[in-house]
Amino acid sequence: MRYLLVDHITGIDPDKSIRGIKNVAMTEDFLEFHFPRNPIMPGVMLLESLAQMTGWLSAVSSDFDRWFVIGNVLQCKYYGFAYPGDQVELEVTVSGEDDQGSPIYLGMAKVGGRKKVVAEFSGQTLPLSDLDEVEDKRREYQVLTRSLPRR
Amino acid sequence: MRFLYYDRVDRLTKGESIVGIKSFPLSEEFFRGHHRKVALVPGVIFIEAMAQLLGWLTIYSYDFKFTAVMSLIEGVKVTSTLRPGFTAEIQAELISANRRDSYGCARCLVDGQEVASVDRILYAHSRQVDPEALKQLFSYYSGTGGDTPWLSNPGRI
Repeated sequence: MRYLLVDHITGIDPDKSIRGIKNVAMTEDFLEFHFPRNPIMPGVMLLESLAQMTGWLSAVSSDFDRWFVIGNVLQCKYYGFAYPGDQVELEVTVSGEDDQGSPIYLGMAKVGGRKKVVAEFSGQTLPLSDLDEVEDKRREYQVLTRSLPRR
Repeated sequence: MRFLYYDRVDRLTKGESIVGIKSFPLSEEFFRGHHRKVALVPGVIFIEAMAQLLGWLTIYSYDFKFTAVMSLIEGVKVTSTLRPGFTAEIQAELISANRRDSYGCARCLVDGQEVASVDRILYAHSRQVDPEALKQLFSYYSGTGGDTPWLSNPGRI
């Protein structure tokens, strides 16, 4: 399984917020063991979707210079499950700052408009060029934002 | 990818604590895409490892009569800049439990140094389970139970 937990970016406001989609498919490897005979998208994988969305927000806000990695989860609350076939609507918004002046993010995952996960988290940004080829990342972003008007 | 984030259980005290081991080899599926120039263990994997072990401690403590599903996590610190090639010891404690829910705390150590911790993981319990099937799963996952002293499990319970 490729560890790519965002399928589509549907809106972005640099330095402020990002919206996107994660589709849950029966083919996902993690559903075999989570849980046996009762496939449910693991809660931490939804948290990872929100963290990867925040990565894209950092990348676009810095002209692909920085990428976000999660460091602290203040709180993450699960209200319901995401099942195979669900389309999870993801939204991450900058909601404040921590003691060091780093952004705190509020992430939300919904299915059919119903709240499934609300998470407040922070982390650090790393130089994107240390992690990935920047040009690859730009192309990946074009794929993820295919429905957005080109700037 | 097999969504199992511990390799064995070394110590288990009913109603109190669990200690498990998880190795992080470069062959883990999650390194595909995370990232291309450097392999970094995603911080959330530590959360899952801690949550899986604490969840099993709860289920084991109540004789496999229910299953535990994570409903809240609070006060989490994770390191998101670790390359593979290490083994983590995961320690978890059950703080409080009743029929409906339970909560505990956990941490991950690498060579005695803490790389992740969570102050509070809350679980909701579900009684729609087959206790015998759950027990067998735990035996397979943890390397506990049965009479044969498997060599991969020196810290056998």
